[in-house]
Amino acid sequence: MNDEKVLLVGDNPFHGVSHLSQERATSRGEKLTNPSYAAELVITSVENGADGFMFTVSETTLSILRIISRREEYNQLQLYAIVPYTYEFVRSAPLAGGIPGLARKLAKEIASSRNWRAVVNGVTGIITTTPTALLRSYLIYEVFRLKSAAGKRANLVSLLLHELVTDMALALNMDWLFRMYIDFVSSVRIKPGFETRNFPCLVQKFKEWGIDFNGIVMAAPFNSIGFQMCPSREKCEEALAEIPEAEVIAFSILAAGYLKLPEAIEYVVNLPNLKGVAVGASKECHVRQTFNVLKKRCKCSGLEL
Amino acid sequence: MMKVKVAVVGLGKMGLLHASLLNVLPNVELIALCEKNSFIRRFCKKTFKDINVVANVKELSDIDPDAIYVTTPIFSHFPVIKAIYTEEIAHNIFVEKPLASSYTKAMELCNLARDQGRVNMVGYNRRFTVTFRKAKEILDEGTLGELVFFEGYAYSSDLLEVEVNSKSLPRDGVLRDLGCHVIDLAFWFFGELKVEIAEIKSIISEGSEDFVYLRIKTLEGLEGEIKSSWCMKNYRLPEIGLIIRGSKGIMKVNDDKLELKLSNDKTVTWYRHDLGDNVPFLLGGAEYFREDEAFIRAILEGHNVEPSFQTALKVEQVIAQVKETARKK
Repeated sequence: MNDEKVLLVGDNPFHGVSHLSQERATSRGEKLTNPSYAAELVITSVENGADGFMFTVSETTLSILRIISRREEYNQLQLYAIVPYTYEFVRSAPLAGGIPGLARKLAKEIASSRNWRAVVNGVTGIITTTPTALLRSYLIYEVFRLKSAAGKRANLVSLLLHELVTDMALALNMDWLFRMYIDFVSSVRIKPGFETRNFPCLVQKFKEWGIDFNGIVMAAPFNSIGFQMCPSREKCEEALAEIPEAEVIAFSILAAGYLKLPEAIEYVVNLPNLKGVAVGASKECHVRQTFNVLKKRCKCSGLEL
Repeated sequence: MMKVKVAVVGLGKMGLLHASLLNVLPNVELIALCEKNSFIRRFCKKTFKDINVVANVKELSDIDPDAIYVTTPIFSHFPVIKAIYTEEIAHNIFVEKPLASSYTKAMELCNLARDQGRVNMVGYNRRFTVTFRKAKEILDEGTLGELVFFEGYAYSSDLLEVEVNSKSLPRDGVLRDLGCHVIDLAFWFFGELKVEIAEIKSIISEGSEDFVYLRIKTLEGLEGEIKSSWCMKNYRLPEIGLIIRGSKGIMKVNDDKLELKLSNDKTVTWYRHDLGDNVPFLLGGAEYFREDEAFIRAILEGHNVEPSFQTALKVEQVIAQVKETARKK
């Protein structure tokens, strides 16, 4: 059995996010949100063992992709893109005029992209108020944006639905949305994925709805102190053990910087069925250390761990 | 198991968030959604086939909900809640913060709640954040000794990049939109507050309330100050916090962590991680789940829950004093 895990560099620091404290994010300053600096950190991560980049699609991360795409040697970087950039939507909602205003703003962006497939689906969706057509239009637009930024030869492995949308749809039992998403993303030869902070619930619902876990990427928090592992660390571990066929990627392995690297890695390498790990880093020295250790511990057989 | 039948009025981000959380609570049946915007309504009708979707709050009377969540824009809280009580559509109401767009309207809603209502609650969700709960516990235990001074703040970068003289500004000002959270916490921690000095600054356009400073005093003589702005740099997410000085030490608390520094040089820091922050379903923040759970439990068990309308009226009173004091200045 191949126990090698996919190692991904995460983008939270590039958006000015720290789940440990906002104060920590603020103290890092604006350097990290500079796409050139962030792109260098991603490249350093790859040079030290990372296989790819997991990121939310935003103007910042698209700029990072544009910079990386100029370096041919990184063309095969595995990209795990998360859509939509929900926090930006939430933040700008009051000024845009709430959800209708945001929808209008997005419609304008889609129209100005001149991606006619997205436009036709969008227009159909608006005229017939068909949720699936609107979602399809949005996804076509996001894939188009990603490929425009990362280049046609980019290795877009998975398109994941952002945790807020996944978890809201989960709570509201919107099984049609999950099915439609899986069908559409698979049809464009990308692995459909779901980011969640309610992993056991997602697993249970997929089983109830008869959704096949094969070829599905799931990203969820996994760390030794159970930070954001809802309802509990034990339930998340049990759910993970039930689905060897899914591609589960762990994030928040450092519990947002609360844990030390050795302790964090010790926990994830011993989790059965985990297929990958995503870690964010804000400094070059941290990137080197993190991915070197991860490479050593996650790219060998279980017996050596 | 007895289930509370709930309707949600207003399907913006907060309405969707509460509707989602309510739908996972085992003793809740989400029976109706009410939204004025016809496009969103049509979308919801196609999306949620088992839930009634209506255009007007009065249409909910035929559906007979036990409780209603009001998550509409602030200016409409008053007419919506008034209609729910006077038309006897439901007796249990949760409203997103703040209670109303003025002290007089908030007062009228409190009177209606007293005469017509049962359980009522306002979404000052920081009371359900583990760090602020721990801070309240420390204050109640008297660990800080005699309280000397406090500083509160509520900052965000939400309107930092908004064009000057933009017409699309939220109409209620930063204190009612964001600063109300820290006023509620100060009231929860220290009791009734009286405004002594207040200053309101317009940054984005003439008449907009973008920065507010207030100097306050409690009935027991504790003095403090509060600052609030939505034009601060590097606050991607809004942050609410308090620094409380006592004779035996200082406590700093915000959404993420609590730091207690005692006079004997002993410093203890608690992050959310240390305070048991996990909930059965995490969406938006653990405090939202706890808040909704507390409201539903109060209905089922037939008792009051805090922060109630009456408590939120105290926040409105402070906001009214700030406006009056700043105007005089």
